[in-house]
Amino acid sequence: MSPSRIAAIALRILKQFRHDPRTIALIVIVPLLVMALVGYLIGDSGKEPLPVAVVNLDAGAGGPAGPVVLGDEIVRGLSADRAIAVRAARSAEAATERVRTGEVAGAVILPADLTRLALAGETAPIRVVVGGTDPNLQGPVLAAAARAVQRLTQRASAAIGFRAPPLAIRPVPLEGGIDLSPLDYDAPILLTFFAFFLTFLLTSVSFLRERSSGTLERLMASPASRLDVLLGYLLGFIGFAVAQALLILGYATWVLDVRIAGSIWLVLLVLVILLIGVVNLGISLSFYARNELQVVQFIPLVLIPQVFLGGLIWPVQTLWPPLRWLSQLFPLTHSTVALRDVMVGGEGFGDIAGRVLALLTFSVAMVAVGVLALRKQRA
Amino acid sequence: MAEEGELAIEADGLVRTFGHLRALDGLSLAVRPGEILGLVGPNGAGKTTFIRTLAGLLRPTGGRVRVLGRTPGPQTAVDVGYMTQSAALYEDLPVLDNVVFFGRLFGLGGGEARARAAELLALVDLKGKERVPVRSLSGGMRQLTNLACAMVHRPRLLLLDEPTVGIDPVLRLRLWEHFAELNAAGTTILVTTHVMEEAERCHRVALIGAGRTIAVGTPAELRSAAGVSSIEEAYLVYWNRRSEGGAP
Repeated sequence: MSPSRIAAIALRILKQFRHDPRTIALIVIVPLLVMALVGYLIGDSGKEPLPVAVVNLDAGAGGPAGPVVLGDEIVRGLSADRAIAVRAARSAEAATERVRTGEVAGAVILPADLTRLALAGETAPIRVVVGGTDPNLQGPVLAAAARAVQRLTQRASAAIGFRAPPLAIRPVPLEGGIDLSPLDYDAPILLTFFAFFLTFLLTSVSFLRERSSGTLERLMASPASRLDVLLGYLLGFIGFAVAQALLILGYATWVLDVRIAGSIWLVLLVLVILLIGVVNLGISLSFYARNELQVVQFIPLVLIPQVFLGGLIWPVQTLWPPLRWLSQLFPLTHSTVALRDVMVGGEGFGDIAGRVLALLTFSVAMVAVGVLALRKQRA
Repeated sequence: MAEEGELAIEADGLVRTFGHLRALDGLSLAVRPGEILGLVGPNGAGKTTFIRTLAGLLRPTGGRVRVLGRTPGPQTAVDVGYMTQSAALYEDLPVLDNVVFFGRLFGLGGGEARARAAELLALVDLKGKERVPVRSLSGGMRQLTNLACAMVHRPRLLLLDEPTVGIDPVLRLRLWEHFAELNAAGTTILVTTHVMEEAERCHRVALIGAGRTIAVGTPAELRSAAGVSSIEEAYLVYWNRRSEGGAP
């Protein structure tokens, strides 16, 4: 072992990094970005409340110290909860309909005999209607209901001279909905994420090789226009990208038994439009990378904000408004919702047309950015 | 050599800067149709920048340039063959597929491109190597494939950027025989080189330094006007005269 040789090697690595400011910048920026996003998303502050419909049908009952309406206590608890925004609803049907349309994230239904049953020592069921297609919304709604009940329990003895009333929270899936497994919910996320990630990797590295081998220079010295080169690349890659997406989809449906409620053609349409944009994103970004290492470093930069803010893990609805607007610029936000609506919600083209249009805009914009990026090669 | 008609290449006060660097600093040069013109100059003299400008890859910062009577770009590309300094080829593809691909890119039909590729590979002594992936070729064979790709569309003008760099003397001679044959068939050739024997084979030589043309003439003219016996020595004479302020 030779300390001087070891030191020489270590020093050389440091020197190399010093001459590569872009890599240094990515080494600093990527972890800071990740930590800032995680800190924000897991923390309590700066979040928007989730709208939750609340129906209080509780007729109340006479307690040991006079008439009691436990439902009102629970509504007060829900109203005080900063994670949700209470939207009063008149009937269970109306509240459920608002869940179905996505206007609210869930509905808490307090039945007419809530207080009577609780005072009689029987379990009084509080129904929490969850559903829609976004599993990320269910947790916060159920948690808020649980907090309201816990608050009531704590106050119970003081307020009504009664110890812990036996209240039970019962999650109810949307009427007509099927009991979906977590995988059914997560399949659209996995599909869109991996299709994006693998296609981005494939195109950005391939195009970097085209550039570093000098063949791109040769292409640009030919009569081929920039658009010719870009569309040729797109056509060549899209087949592989879609085949990859089909493999994921096929495995999910046949091997993992994931259920696709809507049309598989719509799933494909969403994926193809998304991937057209991703192929061109890969090409465009590869112009800003000098080597494979930098392309790989771009991956977290491109993916992490989309995964964290695009509704894949945390609901978009609770984001600070500027972040919510930002998330609307991310293709993964739209493809995740569109695939969820089709695969879980069984919705048709008309329901996801807005998302498809957003993805189409992204793809066309990326073709334009690619043409501009190719200008760097012929200038 | 055809003396009349439009010039194959016409550069007039050509300037190209990269940041603060003036790679071309008022370069002027005329290449006649049908000639082989050698560009000779040290590394960094501006030879590759000039060739890339002619290939339409770089836009000049100033001055004027015409290739076959037109501004270089996609519209002149059909008539121009560009052989890059290092073999720019698809490593995973067989030799034949590389040549056919560039043929198709330059507008040849599928059958035509294949026939032309087979003909060219025979010409550059790569017959029998058609199915070999480029990555398994030797450096010399790569350069031959590179040349075949540059010629596949029968260009009227060939731009060769140090085509024989890293190639053994036997193969170098053979490449120059190919250049001579192409030229005899009417192709104008602009070639950059560091090898003085190669410069001697050109009809005319342009000495380039610091982004400008220092002198142009036949090898014999350049030698005798400088009163020396080699182009290398002639280069030094012209360079010093220029530095002293006197243009040749």
